[in-house]
Amino acid sequence: MANKFGNSYGLTTLCPLINGHQQHTSFDKITRHRIQLLEENSGSPFARIPDTYFARLFILNDVFFEQGNNVARDHLQSKYLVFTSNFHGDLEPYLQGMWNNAEADVRHIWQYAVAFDKVQNAADFIRYIKRCQLTTTLFFNGSTDDSLQQQLKSLYVKQAFTEFALQHQGKPVAELRAAFKTFMQQLQIDNIETPSWQPGQTQL
Amino acid sequence: MTMDRALDLYDIQGNICKGYGRFGFPKARYFFLEFHQYAGARAFLQQLIPLITTAEPWSEKDHPDQSDKPQATTNIGFTYAGLSALGLPRRSLDGFPLEFRMGMKNRAGILGDEGPSDPANWDPVWQGEPVHAWLSVNGQSRQAVVDRYRQIEQLLQQSQGSVTIRPGHKGPQGSLQPWQDASAVYENGRVTPKEHFGYVDGIGNPYFAGCGNDPSRLPGRGKLTRDDGWQPLATGEFILGHIDEAREYPIAPEPHLLALNGTFMVYRKLHENVTTFNRYVDRLATDFDGSRELLMAKFSGRWPDNGAPLVLAPDDAAKAELDQQLAQLTAKAAAGDHTAATELRALKAKWIDFTYNKDRHGSRCPIGAHIRRANTRAALETEKDAFNTPSALDDRRRLLRRGLPYGGEDETPADDTEQGIIFMCIGASLERQFEFVQQQWINYSNDFHLGNDRDVLIGANNGQLTDKHIIQVNPKQGKAPFFCTHLPRMVETRGGDYFFLPGITALRMIAQGIIDPT
Repeated sequence: MANKFGNSYGLTTLCPLINGHQQHTSFDKITRHRIQLLEENSGSPFARIPDTYFARLFILNDVFFEQGNNVARDHLQSKYLVFTSNFHGDLEPYLQGMWNNAEADVRHIWQYAVAFDKVQNAADFIRYIKRCQLTTTLFFNGSTDDSLQQQLKSLYVKQAFTEFALQHQGKPVAELRAAFKTFMQQLQIDNIETPSWQPGQTQL
Repeated sequence: MTMDRALDLYDIQGNICKGYGRFGFPKARYFFLEFHQYAGARAFLQQLIPLITTAEPWSEKDHPDQSDKPQATTNIGFTYAGLSALGLPRRSLDGFPLEFRMGMKNRAGILGDEGPSDPANWDPVWQGEPVHAWLSVNGQSRQAVVDRYRQIEQLLQQSQGSVTIRPGHKGPQGSLQPWQDASAVYENGRVTPKEHFGYVDGIGNPYFAGCGNDPSRLPGRGKLTRDDGWQPLATGEFILGHIDEAREYPIAPEPHLLALNGTFMVYRKLHENVTTFNRYVDRLATDFDGSRELLMAKFSGRWPDNGAPLVLAPDDAAKAELDQQLAQLTAKAAAGDHTAATELRALKAKWIDFTYNKDRHGSRCPIGAHIRRANTRAALETEKDAFNTPSALDDRRRLLRRGLPYGGEDETPADDTEQGIIFMCIGASLERQFEFVQQQWINYSNDFHLGNDRDVLIGANNGQLTDKHIIQVNPKQGKAPFFCTHLPRMVETRGGDYFFLPGITALRMIAQGIIDPT
């Protein structure tokens, strides 16, 4: 299956938006505005959706041509809400998690997507997204295929260990051993939740 | 049809194709002009043109008569503001690349000029409106420099205020000078190729097609071929109006004659905090497994005393052996032994002609060492045959360096005395070459898989724990790498700008006011 690479999944969806207006503003503009108002970093709804590596929402206005004259030009019949996400695991559990953790945001963003008014629950949402899905091999290069928590903990450990190594270079063996023991206790290497980086966190 | 055509070296300014430093010009004076009235400024340029030095060949072979080489040289470059003040047509001005039009000060974010290097802290000459032109005089002696300077000063006086010198260079004992003097560093009265930290500098400048230099200088200076050979870099990497490594003409203004045989130059006054450097090295050397010299070499990639690359001599024992070999061959060659002379030349060629192919882990030359950052020599091709040629990623980021040290003559170098390097580098694209190297390779390390590490010597480090440099070891030897932490700011930017160095034809046309892009 082309959308899957190891344990990572590359989802690409194009959801058509209703052609129309509300109080002088077209639905695609309302939708774009809502996307642009989403919080960033830890406040982003994607930070709440488990196992999201990298996700993006944007509006596809039309197709563009760079050729000269006398070329038959196609146009899209509507504008599309494009939702792409790279995540850990399989599609259905991921979308279930999306609905469970960010239902209000999902409803708000997809409100003017064609036929989204029929989506009432997680099962409907999964069915809807699958209808809009493209088969692609678009993956975010910069991530392993481990679970998000595993990756965040790994990054945290790497960073903390680097600082430990820098701080303790050349120390006598006994002192180093004692310091490392303390370091390992603080690090709680088997505790995947804490201490660690949090989803969406960009600064210590 | 011929693939390559000789460059018109008489139409290219001097110091571009070959560095003056190598030809016995250890002294220089740089000064900066303001144009107040363009007719007068053009008249001044017309009088200056006969003094401008070109890239005409002067080596002993080309000209057995040594008198051909002048006592002093003169060269000129213009900022965007300067070209504008000279009345270049709007369409020609608009054709210059964005970074040139913006000037160095406005590129501070890209160049890492923050904190002590922030443009607000630069010498007074750089404050306010940009300077209009850079003039440089190099001399075989200080007297030759002063004589040529006086000659130009007279032309300035004749311009009756149309052209003036912008003063404001910080000099010795808190003085402000109307010019920036520069000089090779002397030891026991003899010229050395060293800078004030004690490193031999300026080794291994690029070799490009048509430069007129001896082809024996090509290995190590050109671009690498698949069979481990070297070819000259495309002319257009360094001279405008010629095809570059992408088989394209570099971005350049119209008309064609304005750009042809011209190029861009970075001028940057880099202050060296000599006390900070020495203290840091002294402190670290007590913990380091090796000599102080080896530690310094692990910062730069070359041994400070004679510039031998670490790839050739990776530790103190190998260096001692190399020095012995060098001394023996030098003595024999001096005594007339031709075989020894040939061997000596072959050995010295290894100062330049090397790659990091057998040093992937950096156990000889650290991956973050200065010379491995500034000239990556195919080290970025980490997978076999990943690119068309081994150095494809490096060939478009090469810098012709043409600087000289300054200061250190009248006072003992410390942090608060005035000494450093006048860094000048030349290339067809400031953005693709100098700015990229400065931003991505000097002040960042993603391409080297070294995270946020910066260059030890010229990086914008701030003394924090993670401001670090890693001295790698051979992973099979079971030794620990050595971490140089809390790197301080060794070098601070004290000013500079971007200059266009026109060809001689273009300079005449600018002086005549006949640049016409239509």
